[in-house]
Amino acid sequence: MRLDRLLAVRHRRARFAAISLLLGAGVVLGAEPKEWLERMNHALTTRNYVGVFTHVRGDRAETLRIIHRVRGNDVSERLLSLDGSGREFIREGDELTCYFPDKRTVLVERRSPDGPLLGALPSIGDDDSLVYEIRGGERERLLGRTTRVVALHPRDEYRYGYRLWIDEETSMPLKTQLCDQSGQVIEQILFSNIDLPGRIPDSMFKPQIDASTYRWLRAERQVASTATPALWEAMRLPPGFRMANRSAQSLPGSSEPVAHLVFTDGIASVSVFVEARKTDVPPEQGPARVGSSSAFSTMVDGHQVTAVGEVPPNTVQFIATQVKATRGLGLAPAPRSK
Amino acid sequence: MNEERDSQLSAMFDGELPGAECELLARRLTRDEVLRSQWSRYSMIGAALRAERGVALHDRVAWRVQSAVAQEASYGDGTDIAATAARTAAVVPAELQGRANRRRWMRFARPMAGAGIAASVAALSIVWLRTQDPQQSLLAQAPVSESIVLTPEVNSTTVALNQTPASRPVSNGEPDRYVTPALNAQTSLAPTARLANYVVAHSEFSGPLSRRMALLGLVASENGEAAVAPEADGAAATEANDAP
Repeated sequence: MRLDRLLAVRHRRARFAAISLLLGAGVVLGAEPKEWLERMNHALTTRNYVGVFTHVRGDRAETLRIIHRVRGNDVSERLLSLDGSGREFIREGDELTCYFPDKRTVLVERRSPDGPLLGALPSIGDDDSLVYEIRGGERERLLGRTTRVVALHPRDEYRYGYRLWIDEETSMPLKTQLCDQSGQVIEQILFSNIDLPGRIPDSMFKPQIDASTYRWLRAERQVASTATPALWEAMRLPPGFRMANRSAQSLPGSSEPVAHLVFTDGIASVSVFVEARKTDVPPEQGPARVGSSSAFSTMVDGHQVTAVGEVPPNTVQFIATQVKATRGLGLAPAPRSK
Repeated sequence: MNEERDSQLSAMFDGELPGAECELLARRLTRDEVLRSQWSRYSMIGAALRAERGVALHDRVAWRVQSAVAQEASYGDGTDIAATAARTAAVVPAELQGRANRRRWMRFARPMAGAGIAASVAALSIVWLRTQDPQQSLLAQAPVSESIVLTPEVNSTTVALNQTPASRPVSNGEPDRYVTPALNAQTSLAPTARLANYVVAHSEFSGPLSRRMALLGLVASENGEAAVAPEADGAAATEANDAP
């Protein structure tokens, strides 16, 4: 009896030591799934990281490298395909340069100065629980690491969900699945390596290709501000969506500012672009897809209206067909869907 | 120490040993000095694998890793995907590497058993050639504050990845198939430059995860074809071959 008690005490001590070891390693126990999401967002937006991951969609898989650097308010990012097309995106300062070696084309996009700071932390508000069910938080081993599995499950068909394997020590998502409402995986990212370096040299943000002979499409330098009268609104929105931003901006290949409306449900976002129809270009109408992003184009009052977002096709169609020109200032907030 | 005990200790260290067995092993730990010594070694190996600061290694831990694409993946057309796993711990001290290998092997021996070889989309070989990559060499020169070492769940062999590992929890309800959202027949898979611009501009207003997914749609080509058709939408008006 006495021996048993002694063993029990020793066992408790061993367990205490193990827990202390975990806490010492920076592991926080008992966090809610929502807290893990917030930690993940914080890690993704505030840490330096260099990683290689596999992107799987449908029957295709591609290996990519991502390099992400935060220096004060300056965020740089480079995303490049390691096989296949060799395409890469490099974002430095207010400029995003997209290299398409397979098309010998380079797009240069400028971030609107009134837009959100890249890497701004999205907040996961209480309202989000109305359109998403956040669940999980259980431990699971993945690639030799202890992760927390968190699922953002959509409550309706207007948005996709996520299933995330968040590294317990660093809060980095080691595996990300984009899922539809029924839980079917649409797209997946699986890291095979991540480094979290203290600093990343500028040289790592140089393109691996010589694009000097490519065709370059640049956005005009002048960028309209939000003071520009915006006459476009969405008459109705899918549940949970609200207008987050309205601006006019220049895009590569377009000489006129394009009205840009952004709608979000807190997790997913949809952009609506409105530009005057060019007479020499046939109008685009109907659905389109770019990876997991859906798009829907339509013509409204002689303007090309296109909605784009990482949402199901019916969501962008819903929003695009609800955009109308309004009279007056047009800066009143968009009606919020009930 | 026999392999069974080794395996139990490994599982206990990873928090995977059932409670009753854990208690028995804990009792043995209190009176078995060899076992305690082994426990300490595992602690050091674990720290080394996590590249924790303060862990004395002869060299920086670096692995060549292979990304095991979705263990659960069996894809839309019903074709199996195989991935070749290759891992080399080139600079890990031999003893640590050997023990780590053995632990890993033992942990995943069961799921690997009986695994067949399947190859349709070809093996997705990701060889992390850190030493041969000039950019990684630059990175290596920079002060590295932390490193996540991801260990493939298979060891130097080719396995069919649609086999569910025996040790994998079923709690997360992860599906075993991938789907592509159904769109109507008129859906364009080759967006114009205008659409590419829109996606890029939109990504600026997305959260970190959404942004990555959006840009991946442009970086990853569809069906081997280019995803961007830059000849569209009046590019002539603003096109400028103004490359530096």
